[in-house]
Amino acid sequence: MMSAELTAVLGVGQTKYSTTRGDVSIAGLCREAAYRALEDACLDFKEIDAVVIGKAPDFFEGVMMPELYLAEALGAVGKPILRVHTAGSVGGSTALVAASLIQSRVHEKVLTIGFEKQSESNATWALSLPQPFSVSINAGAGGYFSPIIRQYMKRSGAPELIGCMVAFKDRQHALKNPYAHLHQSELTFEEVVDSPMLWNPIRYSETCPSSDGACAMVLGNEKSGDQAENPVAWVHGTAMRSESNNFPGRDEVNPLASRECAADVFKQAGITDPLKEIDAVEIYVPFSWYEPMWLESLGFAELDQGWKMVEDGTTSLEGGQLPVNCSGGVLSSNPIGASGMIRFAEAALQVRGMAGDHQVDGAKKSFGHAYGGGAQYFAMWVVGSEKP
Amino acid sequence: MSETEEPLRAELTVEYPFTRTTGDVIGAFMTGLREKRIFGIKRQDGGVLVPPLEYDPVSSEPLTEMLEVSQSGVVDTWTWVDPPRPQSPWNVPHALALIRLDGADTSMLHAVLVDSPSDMSTGMRVTAIWEEERVGHIADLTGFVKEVEESDS
Repeated sequence: MMSAELTAVLGVGQTKYSTTRGDVSIAGLCREAAYRALEDACLDFKEIDAVVIGKAPDFFEGVMMPELYLAEALGAVGKPILRVHTAGSVGGSTALVAASLIQSRVHEKVLTIGFEKQSESNATWALSLPQPFSVSINAGAGGYFSPIIRQYMKRSGAPELIGCMVAFKDRQHALKNPYAHLHQSELTFEEVVDSPMLWNPIRYSETCPSSDGACAMVLGNEKSGDQAENPVAWVHGTAMRSESNNFPGRDEVNPLASRECAADVFKQAGITDPLKEIDAVEIYVPFSWYEPMWLESLGFAELDQGWKMVEDGTTSLEGGQLPVNCSGGVLSSNPIGASGMIRFAEAALQVRGMAGDHQVDGAKKSFGHAYGGGAQYFAMWVVGSEKP
Repeated sequence: MSETEEPLRAELTVEYPFTRTTGDVIGAFMTGLREKRIFGIKRQDGGVLVPPLEYDPVSSEPLTEMLEVSQSGVVDTWTWVDPPRPQSPWNVPHALALIRLDGADTSMLHAVLVDSPSDMSTGMRVTAIWEEERVGHIADLTGFVKEVEESDS
C-alpha cells in the first residue's frame, strides 16, 4: 500500500480577533487571513491548487453557502472550493479535509480557512432552533454544558475554583498573543471568582467571548515543505470522530469519540506518553472546566486527575510542563467557525518556533484539538518540527 | 389503522435578526444611492461592474477604482410581473429588467415602471427615479422609467 504524502503547514494567517470588525465584509475578513497565510508561506494565490473553507451553521450569519460568494475573495476562481461543516469543531475538521487533499496527492498546495462574524448574528439564538413537538429551553451552549461540568466535578472531586484558575491562566496567556480578542491586563483572579454566575458552576469570566475573525493556513506536500523559506510544521497524525449526543450509557464527561480520536491520532504520531512527548497543546476550551476534562479524555492526565495539572501550574506557559492554550485559547477569542482552526494553526506556530511572545521554548511536537455540537464532533492533529 | 386520521402537523417559523457589514466597496455603493448617485468599480481588464464587487471575478485581486456611471441605460432583457407578489416593493404591475447603465459593462436587476408589457422592449432606454427619503439601500432607487428623448438644441 502506498503511504500518504507527507504534509506540511507552510503558512498561517490570522486576523486580530475582536467583538466587531465593522470595517470589512465577510469576504474582506477572510481575504485578510488568507493573504497573511500566503505571505507567511511566501506564495501567492496563483500557486494554490484548491481552497477548503469552514464555518459554523449558515444561519449564524444568514449567508447561505458562503463558499460560493467567497470564491473570488479567496482566489478560488477556476479552482476546486470545498466547504466543511461540523459545528464548533469545524475549523479543525476543515484543516483535516485540506490535509487529506495533500496526503492523498490530489493537490500539492491547499489554502484552508475558517471564519465567523458573530457581530452579524446571534449565535445563541441560532443554536436554539425550535423543533416541532419538542420543548425548547433556550439554554444556549453554557446551559447545555454546565450539568456535564457539574458531573465532572462530582466524579473527580475537583475543588470548586479550578475553572476560575483555567480562565485566569488563559487570559494571562492572551496578553502575550497580539491576535487574541480579550486583553484584560488588569484582570485579577478574584475578579474571575466574583464575576456573575451564569449557569452554575459556570461564571461569566469562565466563558468565551463572541468574536469576529478568520484564520487561514497554507498546507503543502513534502516537496513544497522542503522548499519553504520559513520553518514549516509537519503533520504527524490526523483524526476525526463523531458520536450522537444522546444514547443510553453515553459518557458525556468523557465521550467515547473523544477517547478513540485521541488514541488514533497519537498512534499515528507514534506517541505513547502524550504528557512527556508533547511540548505544547491547543485544546478547544470554550468553558473553563473543559481544560481538565479534555486533558483526561485525551490521555494527558489520569482519569479524575486532570484538575491537579491546573492547580499545580502544569498547564501554564510560566514554567509548566505542558503549557495549554498559550494563545489564550477559545476563552480569549471565539470566532466560532475559526476557533478550531486557530487551535490547529497555533499548534503549528509552536513547532515552527513562530509563536512570538507565547512561544514554548524549543517546542518539537504539539497537539491541536477542536470539538463541537454537544461534545460529539472531534478533530485532532499532531504536528512536529521534524518530518515524521 | 384509521384511514381518516390526519398526520400530526406543526407550524415552524424560523426567524433570526442579522446585520451585514458592507466593507468599503459595497458601502460606497450604498452611500452613493443615498446621494442619488450610482457607482461601479473598474475590473482589472478595464470593464466596469455595476453594482460593484470587492474582488476581481477573474484574477481575484481586490478592486478599488470606483467610478460613477450614468443614471440612464439600456434594457438587456426583461420580464413582466402581474400581479405583484405581496412581498414586492412595487404594488402595481411592473417589469423586472436587467439594465445596463451607460458606462457599465454589466447589467443590474431592477424594476421598470411602465403601464403594460407593450411598453417594454429589449434595447429600450430607461432612466432612474428616486425615493424622496433615502437611507443607503437599493430601494432608494424607486425604479426606472422610459427615458424621455431630449430634443436637440
